[in-house]
Amino acid sequence: MIRRVYERRVRLALGKPPTLLQAEAANSYAYVASIANRLYITEQTANILKLRTPNFAAPLLAETRPLKKARYLRRWARRLTDFAFSSEDAIVLAYGSFGLDVTSKSIGVDAIVTTDVRLAEHYERRHAEIRNRFSDMVVNLPEAYAVVRLPQVLTTAAILSIV
Amino acid sequence: MEKLTVDAEGKIIIPPEVIQKRGLQPGDELTLVESAEGLLVYDGGIDAKTLAWWNRLDDTQRLLAEDDARHYESLSEQERDALWKQEADSVEIEAESDELDFPTN
Repeated sequence: MIRRVYERRVRLALGKPPTLLQAEAANSYAYVASIANRLYITEQTANILKLRTPNFAAPLLAETRPLKKARYLRRWARRLTDFAFSSEDAIVLAYGSFGLDVTSKSIGVDAIVTTDVRLAEHYERRHAEIRNRFSDMVVNLPEAYAVVRLPQVLTTAAILSIV
Repeated sequence: MEKLTVDAEGKIIIPPEVIQKRGLQPGDELTLVESAEGLLVYDGGIDAKTLAWWNRLDDTQRLLAEDDARHYESLSEQERDALWKQEADSVEIEAESDELDFPTN
């Protein structure tokens, strides 16, 4: 989603209209930013933004907090790949449960917003199995991790439908 | 969320209160989005965040942004994909050394 928000701004700087995906992402981002307590991005996205030109990237970095990887994030991501998620998607989904906000000392997020409709559909379709597998894993983790939850996965289109 | 009605000619009627609330004028363009969830209609103008970002840039910053934007737009889709996939995290056990304990100390 952040990529498309970034690209929407690139289009504006050039005086070009955004693509549908970019407009959808930017509108969703604006709405979510207006209602959410905090917006998070993954460490990877933060690192990529830090390499981009500050005019575009600095405001996005300022408005979001990068999540760190809590212990067991990759373990959960590997379990998710068993449900036919790519490694890249599995990591993002695992951030939803095991992403660590070191400032507030909280773990996980309520929802992941994505422009990837197929990812959201696949997550929804396999959700019951994923939930069982998640419970099986979490029950064997140290007590501190009993608070971890599965996030919702929402498409930008779904966000716009509730605006 | 509002319900819209398609009339006999295939036109969508937007309730007057929505038109008023959104400040829509005759001739304004709306975007119809076909998505997996269905059809979405939204006003395709600049969202508040993007507009605020643009308005914060001074003339010099806008010129620099335009230069950077031109460079970004000159990249192929594959090159942009690669750019946004840099430093992708591995799911392998060997990579777990950077994971932090929760709760943090």
